[in-house]
Amino acid sequence: MTITGLARESERPEPLLRPHAGSFAAVVLLQVVGAVAGLAPLLAVAELGRVLLSPGPVDSGHVWFVVFAGAAGLFVRLLFTAASSGLGHVLDGRVQLTLRRRLAERLGRVPIGWFSRRRTGELAKVVGEDVAAVHPFIAHAPGELVSAFVVPLVSLVYLFTVDWRLTLITLIPVVLAIALVPLLMLPARTREQEEYDAAMGRIANSVVELVQGIAVVKAFGGAERAHRRFLTAADDFVATFNRWVRGMSAVAAGMQVALSPPFVLLVVLTGGAALIASGSIAPADLLPFLLLGLGLTAPVAALGHGFDDLQAAGRAVARIRDVLGVPPLPEPARPVVPQVHRVELRDVRFGYEDGREVLRGVDLVLEPGTVTAVVGPSGSGKSTLVRLLPRFFDPAHGAVLLGGADLRDIGSRELYRRVSFVFQDVRLLRASVADNIALAVPEAAHEDVVRAARLAGIHERVLELPRGYDTVLGEEAELSGGEAQRISIARALLADAPVLVLDEATAFADPQTEQAVRRALAGTAGGRTVLVIAHRLETVADADTVVMLEDGVIVERGSPAELLASGGRFAAFWQANRTGPHPAGPHPAGPDLVGPGLIGQGDEPA
Amino acid sequence: MIRMLLRVLGPEYARAMRRTVALMTITAVVEGLSYALLVPVLAALLGGSPSDAWPWLAAFGAAVAAYAGLRYTSDLAGMRVGTTMLRGMYHRLGEHLARLPIGWYGAGRVGEVSVLASRGLLQAMGVSAHLLAPFVSALVTPVTIVVVILAFNWQLGLAALAAAPVVAAIQAWTARSTAAADADRHERDKEAAGRVIEYLQAQPVLRTGGRTGERFEALDAALREVQGASRRTVLATLPGAVGLTLTVQAIFTAVLVLGAYLALGGGVGAAEVLTILVLAARCADPLLSLSDIGGKLRGARAELVRLDAVLRTEPLPEPAEPVLPERHDLEFDAVTFRHGGRTVIDGLSLKVPQGQRLAVVGPSGAGKSTLLQLLARFHDVDAGAVRLGGVDVREVSTEALMARIAIVFQDVYLFDGTIEENVRLGRPGASEAEVRAAATAARLDEVIERLPGGWAAHVGEGGALLSGGERQRVSIARALLKDAPVVLLDEVTSALDPVNEAAVHEGIERLMAGRTVVMVAHRMRTVQRADRVAFLDGGRVVEEGGHDELLGRGGRYAAFWEIAAALPGPARG
Repeated sequence: MTITGLARESERPEPLLRPHAGSFAAVVLLQVVGAVAGLAPLLAVAELGRVLLSPGPVDSGHVWFVVFAGAAGLFVRLLFTAASSGLGHVLDGRVQLTLRRRLAERLGRVPIGWFSRRRTGELAKVVGEDVAAVHPFIAHAPGELVSAFVVPLVSLVYLFTVDWRLTLITLIPVVLAIALVPLLMLPARTREQEEYDAAMGRIANSVVELVQGIAVVKAFGGAERAHRRFLTAADDFVATFNRWVRGMSAVAAGMQVALSPPFVLLVVLTGGAALIASGSIAPADLLPFLLLGLGLTAPVAALGHGFDDLQAAGRAVARIRDVLGVPPLPEPARPVVPQVHRVELRDVRFGYEDGREVLRGVDLVLEPGTVTAVVGPSGSGKSTLVRLLPRFFDPAHGAVLLGGADLRDIGSRELYRRVSFVFQDVRLLRASVADNIALAVPEAAHEDVVRAARLAGIHERVLELPRGYDTVLGEEAELSGGEAQRISIARALLADAPVLVLDEATAFADPQTEQAVRRALAGTAGGRTVLVIAHRLETVADADTVVMLEDGVIVERGSPAELLASGGRFAAFWQANRTGPHPAGPHPAGPDLVGPGLIGQGDEPA
Repeated sequence: MIRMLLRVLGPEYARAMRRTVALMTITAVVEGLSYALLVPVLAALLGGSPSDAWPWLAAFGAAVAAYAGLRYTSDLAGMRVGTTMLRGMYHRLGEHLARLPIGWYGAGRVGEVSVLASRGLLQAMGVSAHLLAPFVSALVTPVTIVVVILAFNWQLGLAALAAAPVVAAIQAWTARSTAAADADRHERDKEAAGRVIEYLQAQPVLRTGGRTGERFEALDAALREVQGASRRTVLATLPGAVGLTLTVQAIFTAVLVLGAYLALGGGVGAAEVLTILVLAARCADPLLSLSDIGGKLRGARAELVRLDAVLRTEPLPEPAEPVLPERHDLEFDAVTFRHGGRTVIDGLSLKVPQGQRLAVVGPSGAGKSTLLQLLARFHDVDAGAVRLGGVDVREVSTEALMARIAIVFQDVYLFDGTIEENVRLGRPGASEAEVRAAATAARLDEVIERLPGGWAAHVGEGGALLSGGERQRVSIARALLKDAPVVLLDEVTSALDPVNEAAVHEGIERLMAGRTVVMVAHRMRTVQRADRVAFLDGGRVVEEGGHDELLGRGGRYAAFWEIAAALPGPARG
């Protein structure tokens, strides 16, 4: 049972590793030759015993031949095992690189929405540690498996040819130890093993959290409070680990004793003495058992600890496989290249979970050269709606069309060349400022990068950095939140995509950033299609069309003036928020929410 | 190695650790000595008088029983000590991480610390549970056996003894030569781990550039570096492993040749030579396993060194005789602070009388947020002093200082847990009613009503499941619950939707009432609520005064708000 269990574990990684099967076979073969050659010196000692103990004159030529054969065997063993180990490690490096690349490639193609339900720490662990966990499988398994199975098997066959009775006696410690193995493989042990992995994952997460939330920890924590979660995760892990060890340790220690060389020697010598005393075997025949008999315990000894690694590798590979098995956002077989940039949403329905639709049938047309503002209360589906355009998700029902083509029929490169976006969570890469700005257009000329930075109002700040545009962010300099946002606006400006999706909330770190966004929005003369989640009345006032979203459906649409004049939901919404409770006493006199020119802006009702 | 382990662990585990190592050593010595009894046993069996073997065999049986008892005990002790240390280590690390200055937490730390705390710590602690016993036994048993051989036959004993210095030299040399490769490899691993996290978190923006998979060069380069480093590690380790094997095998061959020679010469009995060869074979096996165990030990050692480095990073010093501030006025006295090679705060002086509100305004990068961090002692100043109630913050214990300050950050970080847990962070001992009251005052109750699960709703990693405004409300509720006399406020930079904005302002107003407040302000409306305004640029106070007074002066402050006025549409309030 244990052996088949093992075989199952070792088979698992195979399909992932198939391209490397040839090299892997070479590693195993070298190991087999080396390990079997390693038996030569032991056999030489046994043979020496036969020659020396045989009655009559000693054939010295034979003695020296035996000694030479033993030494030669050692040399072959050295050569082949070193070659196998070296090759194995090189292969291991290559396999890890391939696996990580495949993971990165797949993670780069799964729907963005998939990430929102995963923790970065867990995924990073798959790419990092789980891939590293295949190391024992490739680099050490051949050696371990060969010395655990091939060598004992060869020894066993040889010993049987010497004397079958003493062979069986020699196997007694092995049988004793095997009798204990099932205790290590109880369902409870397997469960503990899984809990152990889960607990480890929680530690990784809580550490990411502890480090990222360190400011909060400091502000509220003192030393013992707020990082409690990490300590809880750690205690949890140690408790699981303890349970696991406690379940295993007595049995494992018992096995260790049964398999220990002194105990094996005791058994062999006792049996041997009895057989020699009864005249059943020649005294010289005891020697091979003393020398090779110890090796017979290897398979079970390996089961005790060596295969922990392999089992861990098996579990790691299962997790890698899970990630590789996530269906990517499907790419079209025959990509369509849209010619115009009219965006159309047709009866779009979407929900993050079954049974809870966030968008419940949205029809919307965005004409090139126009700005469409989406307004609505928190949780009305605004953020979800705009995220469908860069295809973070595919709608569950209906379609999003760009230039008449379903987004699903447009290749992703093509799509991202046409749709750029500025959303709330700004991520700067640990790369130069220039690279960060040119992220979507890596081939952009330096002067274009600078122009975008100027437009985004960040150029002066960049020049103050230690190495200007070559400064590596996160290493040589840190930017403030507002500055990071302006970098992301510069990014979008440089990309100059015909469709721009913008969450206005991002945009108002400070007056300079707001100005940058206004410039970006103003650049629609060239026929750019803009969709913006609007929070400010002035943005709404400048929009060509306003769409009022409530609970996943569009309740009103039209020009701002028309909507305000009609006194419907939109008007009420703005009115309500404008006169919302402000216990701060006298409302600051700023003319901030009433756009003076709004009504008189002259937008004719369509 | 053990010394390093003991230092990292701290003194409380030293005794248990020493006892375990002693037990392991005794076990290994007993194992080696028990083999001495093989000599008479085999002499009888091979010498043609098998019945003489029985008493010796019985003695060997007794020795094996003693060994088995010791071995069982020391194996269990090893595992027990291992888990105890693991727990102690996690606590030490966790508490230490929480005490390190914020300045220590740069961009690469998330990856580094997470690797250290998960795999690294386990590997380091695995030393005692899995590696120490085999290592001690692989070293001590052969030495004991050589002594036994020496006692029976000095020529063969000396030949075997020749291995000892060579093996020791090779072990030492390998340790040195691989240390560099290991360190390099670790650097690459760390770099790659950081890149992976970046790659995952920046997915949306990376996709716009089509930079996924191998096309994201920074990640791919880091991954290739990992492969290169692992190859270099192999190259660095191989000579040591080969050298060790070669030595052990050469010595075994020498013993074999010498034994054959002695037996042929008739100087020594065949049975004795054969017995010694059996013992020599018993020496060789454990010694050959040394390179394997040694490699694992070095890996664990490298992790220990890194743990040690983190644990030895000094947290901000705690005062020997802490002073409790009696008042709650704030003062910056000629403060200079440098960070990342840049002077962020440059000889700045400011005072905020108790109960007054100071608004800090200025362009991005002026040092506004840093000012708040210095007040909360996230960093220590390089020159000058920051005082709370006339007491230098370095003279106040961290706990006392934090008890007096409530902070609302610009980027609200919420812990993955329920809303209630996140609010309660402000004052864990607060009653149910106090928590509800704080939530209502921050208008968080509206959010809770809307969320499925209410108070028990999970906020996701970093609070990702809530909108920016909702996160702000949680953080304000948290600060309200804390009820500290000093409030530090970093105004949220993103524009909130009108509902959230109104709620957040309302909450902040309640939070500020009757307290000493320093707020970094981005909106004119916020500034108007302050008693005084300080305009910051390049880490200095450029202008200071009342809002209207400064506007009237027509200087930098007035110019700052003018940009806003020049924007299309009305200026924001």
